[in-house]
Amino acid sequence: MTWHAVTIAGYLLVVAGIVVLQLLATKTRVPVPTFGELLSRAMRSRTGRVGVLVAWAWIGLHFFAR
Amino acid sequence: MSRAAPGPEDRHAQNRGTDSGGTATGCAEAVVTPPRPAGRALAALAALAGLRAPVVWILLAIAFFTSISGKPVDGVLMLIVAVGLAWDAGRRALRHPETGEATARTDRLPGRRRRVVVITLVVAGVVYAGVVGSFSRYSWPATAGIIGLSTGVVLIGWHRPVRARPDGGRLPVAGTLAWIVVLVAGCLWELSSLYLQPSLTTDSYAHPTISTLTDPLLATSPGRMLVLFAWVAFGWYLVDR
Repeated sequence: MTWHAVTIAGYLLVVAGIVVLQLLATKTRVPVPTFGELLSRAMRSRTGRVGVLVAWAWIGLHFFAR
Repeated sequence: MSRAAPGPEDRHAQNRGTDSGGTATGCAEAVVTPPRPAGRALAALAALAGLRAPVVWILLAIAFFTSISGKPVDGVLMLIVAVGLAWDAGRRALRHPETGEATARTDRLPGRRRRVVVITLVVAGVVYAGVVGSFSRYSWPATAGIIGLSTGVVLIGWHRPVRARPDGGRLPVAGTLAWIVVLVAGCLWELSSLYLQPSLTTDSYAHPTISTLTDPLLATSPGRMLVLFAWVAFGWYLVDR
């Protein structure tokens, strides 16, 4: 297995983890918050709200801006 | 009257009960308003107090790593927000430590009006993605479009949430930790790929970052438009939280 494949597998594992947690939160009674609930909790304070919005802005800047 | 730099009257007014006549108003004001340190010292104190917020440190770290990765504009913008947030958080903590969050601007819009707003925003998002996505990556027009929208969204969310939401109470600890583990693992995996490249600005086939993996998609105009629309939609979702 090449390092390229290992790196891709790592990313896929993280994506799978996100999907599994979201499914556990929405389709079962397991006490896991949904991604939306997590964001709402993080954005309850001003610093949290600005932090999350800046993280979103950073994604756009990183992929498109100079 | 400015409160930043106390004038002779203000200083005098703090000696309550020893003056009369023209300083009487100042005396009354001094009784209800506690004396404050000088403006510059207060600003420094506020910024230091704001450093207690973990988000500020995360933003400073992002600013640092972004800058050394060859994206100085991103780094400077992150630094500005980090300093602004630290100052703002510290200022509020120093002046009104008991003050809670500001209330939301609006409650959920009624059905028909909300539909109109949704349709308008979707059309605006499509137009935005079409225009900005037509510019090549890292060009100045694309940069201006991204910075313009980002600044607007961050400013909208700075003071208060857009609409009121019920307090969901405490989140389950184990489930929340599971989310944190997965998300932090993703960030560390990306960071490790970045540092395993030949240099921070040279891509690696063996250790591709998410940027490297998305390059083929973002090299085409339709791909950029698609990703930009998803980015705008996610931003809207966040503002609406």
